[in-house]
Amino acid sequence: MYKLILATRYLLKRRITYFAVLAVALCVFIVVVVMTVMAGLVGEFKQKNHDFSGDCVVGSESLVGFPYYEDYVKKLDASELVEGVSEVIRSYGLLSLQGRDRTSGVEIMGLDPARHSRATGFGDTLYHRRDDIAQAFVPSYDANLPGCILGIDLALERDPNGEYAYDSSPRRIGFSISCFPLTARGALAGAGTALANTKTFYYSDHSHSGLARVDDSIIYLPFDEAQALCGMSGQTKRINAIHVKFKPDVPLKAGCEEARRLWSIFKAEKANENQAYLLDTVTVQDWKLYGRALIAAMEKEQLIMGVMFGFVGIVTVFIVLVVFYMLISHKSKDIGVLRSIGVSGFDIIELFSGFALMVGLAGSSLGVLGGWQFLLRINSIERWLFEHFEFQVWDRTMFAIGDIPSAISPRVLAMIVLLAIAACLIGALVPSWQAARLKPAETLQVNQL
Amino acid sequence: MLKLFLWLRYLRKRRIVFLSITAVALSVSLLMVIASGFTGFIKAYEQIAVDFVGDIVLQPPRKFPNYPVLLDRLEQLGVVEAAEATLEGQGVLYLGKGNVRAVRIQGIDLARAARVTAFKSSLLRQKDSPDEPSFGMAGEPNTATGFVGIAVVREPDEETDEYDFNAAEEMIGKQVVLTTGSVIEQKEPSSPPGETQFKRRTLQFTITDIVFTGFYQVDKNYIFLPIERLQKTLYPEQQPVAELIQIKLSLGADAESAETQIRGVWQGFVDDQLGGDRYLKEFVEIETAVEMQSQYIGEIRKQMGLLLLIIGVVSASVVVLVSCIFYMIVTTKRKDIAVIKSCGTTSASVCWIFVGFGGCVGIIGSGIGVVLGCIITENVNSIERWISIVSGLKLWKSSVYMFSRIPNEVNWFWALPIVVSAIAAAAVGALIPAIVAARTKPVEILRYE
Repeated sequence: MYKLILATRYLLKRRITYFAVLAVALCVFIVVVVMTVMAGLVGEFKQKNHDFSGDCVVGSESLVGFPYYEDYVKKLDASELVEGVSEVIRSYGLLSLQGRDRTSGVEIMGLDPARHSRATGFGDTLYHRRDDIAQAFVPSYDANLPGCILGIDLALERDPNGEYAYDSSPRRIGFSISCFPLTARGALAGAGTALANTKTFYYSDHSHSGLARVDDSIIYLPFDEAQALCGMSGQTKRINAIHVKFKPDVPLKAGCEEARRLWSIFKAEKANENQAYLLDTVTVQDWKLYGRALIAAMEKEQLIMGVMFGFVGIVTVFIVLVVFYMLISHKSKDIGVLRSIGVSGFDIIELFSGFALMVGLAGSSLGVLGGWQFLLRINSIERWLFEHFEFQVWDRTMFAIGDIPSAISPRVLAMIVLLAIAACLIGALVPSWQAARLKPAETLQVNQL
Repeated sequence: MLKLFLWLRYLRKRRIVFLSITAVALSVSLLMVIASGFTGFIKAYEQIAVDFVGDIVLQPPRKFPNYPVLLDRLEQLGVVEAAEATLEGQGVLYLGKGNVRAVRIQGIDLARAARVTAFKSSLLRQKDSPDEPSFGMAGEPNTATGFVGIAVVREPDEETDEYDFNAAEEMIGKQVVLTTGSVIEQKEPSSPPGETQFKRRTLQFTITDIVFTGFYQVDKNYIFLPIERLQKTLYPEQQPVAELIQIKLSLGADAESAETQIRGVWQGFVDDQLGGDRYLKEFVEIETAVEMQSQYIGEIRKQMGLLLLIIGVVSASVVVLVSCIFYMIVTTKRKDIAVIKSCGTTSASVCWIFVGFGGCVGIIGSGIGVVLGCIITENVNSIERWISIVSGLKLWKSSVYMFSRIPNEVNWFWALPIVVSAIAAAAVGALIPAIVAARTKPVEILRYE
């Protein structure tokens, strides 16, 4: 009981402890804000990647693709764990706007919009056909024309606020798309001027996935058209990937294991087919592994920021150490009295550790409260700064960011508070240990009083 | 003399002062590393822009003919050392079985490019050759040839992020196929006048060198062809055209004045050679390579400023640390202070002793921080490699951060304000304890109880 009383007394009566509390509060405030924003950006990025690829991707890196996929898709459709399956063609092509003297390299993704929306979040990225996904490739101005869906940054411009200039309906624009058809051996199909296939498609919708690399480089085509354009629609049809969504109650690992098991069975069944060698290049990956190149980069940034603020947190440890050192220097008489009435060295350490805990809790609480209030208003503050000083934390015309993430993650918060308390305990360790070693006979001598 | 004596004594006897020196050193080194890293990145980015496009870029709103006349006129200006015309396009490159890449094509005059940019130094095979670089193959002057970026043919190693230069050079001599296209006016009698059509073009060429600039965006996306070959491929029935003029200024030339002179030459050229086209005259862009990147570099500077502000605010808690330590010294050294005052030292001098000591702590801490910051910055690539070996975590990847190596030049321009701020913070931190010391009454302190 006396430990609690003394610790509370030191916290309230010794003004020097306010410095320690404020230092902890300042560090916690900054770390909460920065880590919440970073965690929000990373979390949003991961979610967008998840929405883009579905739960699992069965596919090949090679542009040649793999054949006999129809049987495997039937197995997946029949599985109790699977909710949606979508076959996809992926290749590279040249996009040219009709009448314009500019061409751009794009990535082609051939899919069935309805099937793909069941396997991924594709349907939610559409604008004009969001409510009628099956008609996504049908231009509203002429149902007879072959439609295409553009990544939003290929179709629209962004203003300084990051807002797109949406049209009420898609404009009649034709795009000429050329790409290489490849044989099953990976060689060019055709020769001379027939080395590439070209077809004109008409803008029917745009897709806003929120991923910069997707929105500014992918054009979506009807599955059959893309398969023909890429030379994969011959006698033995080929595709590049199958996106799979598992049922909500199916754990990701279990779902991918099932997909892998079915793939092994399928591969064994097709072992004697002519193009079975193409199945060797196929892998089964969950969405995290599939997007690891980019997700890992974001997570590393988060880690580097965390380490940097860890160094800054060392300053907090120093402040707590100094404050406690000062406190203990002034309270040597109290400690001497406590020791003389039988309080052990360990109890002294416990007393000051408890005090450090209170400093950490008080500082963390202040810091968390300040951080929470700041995060609640962070987007309004940025809008105000932009209106008055044309300042934005991230230029929305350059970065694919909407509002600054401000939702505090309880996990991140708990970690920051625990680390702040740990920093205080570490800072108090040496002074507490020195206090425990004080001899009552020395501290209570007349000339010390 | 007394001050110096006391400062040295407190430094030697009061070991806790080293804590404040350490805190100052850590803060200064962190700020220096951040400032040097960011400014190094900006400098490298600006340098690569100059190395790739020259000092000034003249970009008309559309392609134009008779560019050799323009080049001659520009080179007659005293401020221009050399000028080069380029033609750009986009295409899809077939490298081998299943290996198809989207690429950006740049048609260049290699002899001129070597004078305007640092292109020769980025050629793997020809960079050390005393002769002028050449596209040609020995013994086969009529064969179509070109250069490709290293990451087009070989991605860097996933774990080490290093290129296998030997494997990349094995691609030299290999034949590849480029599909590109251009928009041409329809010439059929039945076509309405002015109607255009996208015409697909293919070109087979042999790779005769590999380009490695160290800038991932160029190494990953670009291929280089002789401008005449590209012109014949894209516009076989038209006179040669160019899209962009890259200019190298003479040593010591003022960029602003050079831009004005170049604009004058352009206006005259349009009047003489292009029928005085007002659209070409009014909408031409003439800017330095650095100005072209100003938006992106502005964003990087903003991020640097924000990070320095955040770290700076937290580092300001060094003021609190110094304040606490000095307060402790003052309260434990009251008798010394009283004795000094009783010998005739004024309150202002006593105050100055401690403020000056605070400044000393700042100077020593900053000095250590600067040394530490320099060591970390200059060895950052070795440190990153060591972390990668020990933890398996590759922190810096060229595909994410654009450059193969982390910029490691210390920025002394930022070192000065950081050091001055650190010294000022330490002096400010010592202020309150110095005032307390100055207000010490010798009579009260030296009274025998």
